[in-house]
Amino acid sequence: MTSYGGYQQTSYGGQGGNDGGGFMGASQQGSQGGAQRNYADDTLRPLTIKQLVDFKEPYPNSDLVVDGMLTTQVTLVGHVRVVNPGAVHITYRIDDGTGMIDVKKWIDADKGEATPRFGVDTYVRVYGKLQSFNGKRSIAAHYIRAIEDFNEVNYHLLEATYVHLCLTKAASADGQAPQQGGGGMDAGGDGMFVDGGYGAGGVGADMQARLSPCSRNGRTVFNFLANSATADGAHLNQVASGTGLSARDIMSATEELLGHALIYTTDDDETWAVLEC
Amino acid sequence: MEAIANPRITCAYLNSYVGKNVIVVGKVIQLRGDEALIDADGNITAHLNREAHLSAGNGVQIIGKVNPDLSIKVLSSLDLGTSVDYNLANSVVEISHQHRSLFSYD
Repeated sequence: MTSYGGYQQTSYGGQGGNDGGGFMGASQQGSQGGAQRNYADDTLRPLTIKQLVDFKEPYPNSDLVVDGMLTTQVTLVGHVRVVNPGAVHITYRIDDGTGMIDVKKWIDADKGEATPRFGVDTYVRVYGKLQSFNGKRSIAAHYIRAIEDFNEVNYHLLEATYVHLCLTKAASADGQAPQQGGGGMDAGGDGMFVDGGYGAGGVGADMQARLSPCSRNGRTVFNFLANSATADGAHLNQVASGTGLSARDIMSATEELLGHALIYTTDDDETWAVLEC
Repeated sequence: MEAIANPRITCAYLNSYVGKNVIVVGKVIQLRGDEALIDADGNITAHLNREAHLSAGNGVQIIGKVNPDLSIKVLSSLDLGTSVDYNLANSVVEISHQHRSLFSYD
């Protein structure tokens, strides 16, 4: 990771040192924020290669945006298809089963021959940035390492999917997109939110704001109760079949909601209704 | 950069991918000459190429083309050793079919 830190420092110095020229020097970073680019915004995101292939640049050398999220550093996992050694960098063509992309690793002059090389058909993890040159896109790698445990390949694919789902479905984590309330659940609960109706229908925006400190399960259960709309509330069994959550999850979720005074128990300890305010 | 996907599949998906290149992760059950029997949520017959070095009982990743008889003509194979989590690999196949936008081009 030393090369990573060094890279940041160099380009940062370039920006701070000469304001006008700094912008030019930063074109590699994209033009976002001009010379006042905030490195606190840097993200490292796991992606499948297809997500990079699918990305359409609105203008040349634009910032990478995936699922509406500015993405600076990316990490990929794939196997090496082709190795193309050059004088100053080695180009690896990486395939992860969803697409192929060239990854360029600059040869560190200080290390010389010590730069590790990866053979064809080895699985590698790549950390780097998307770059575009003459319309041809590649990854400028900060760091590449071989994968020892094959399961990491699968972990990466799941992680990339998880991040994608978090960004596309659980945008309501801060209460800003109430119509997607409780989204981002596992596949079992997905069906509930297809119509997006729970948040938009029965629950007002102020209610969503009060829900924001609750866990994902808490919001799911609350949204279910708010929409079941019977005076006697809903029993544990109804909640379980409606939300697809386990009884234990529902008990802890309702405990949380009771603590926030969002619901109350009706007939017995396992039947709840929404506390209207 | 190329938009070519080799979908990850298990035995159950063979039918839908005849004539296409796929990736299968499974366990080598049996080796018979240039044929291997691979368990990937069901048994798949793989016709190996000369470069293949598999051992029975180990995990393997094969990339190959699905024949009309639902066997696979192997283009490339990779021995994965013994510590492969097959449930994980099968889950990834399911996930990659549920969220196709991240994995395939159709």
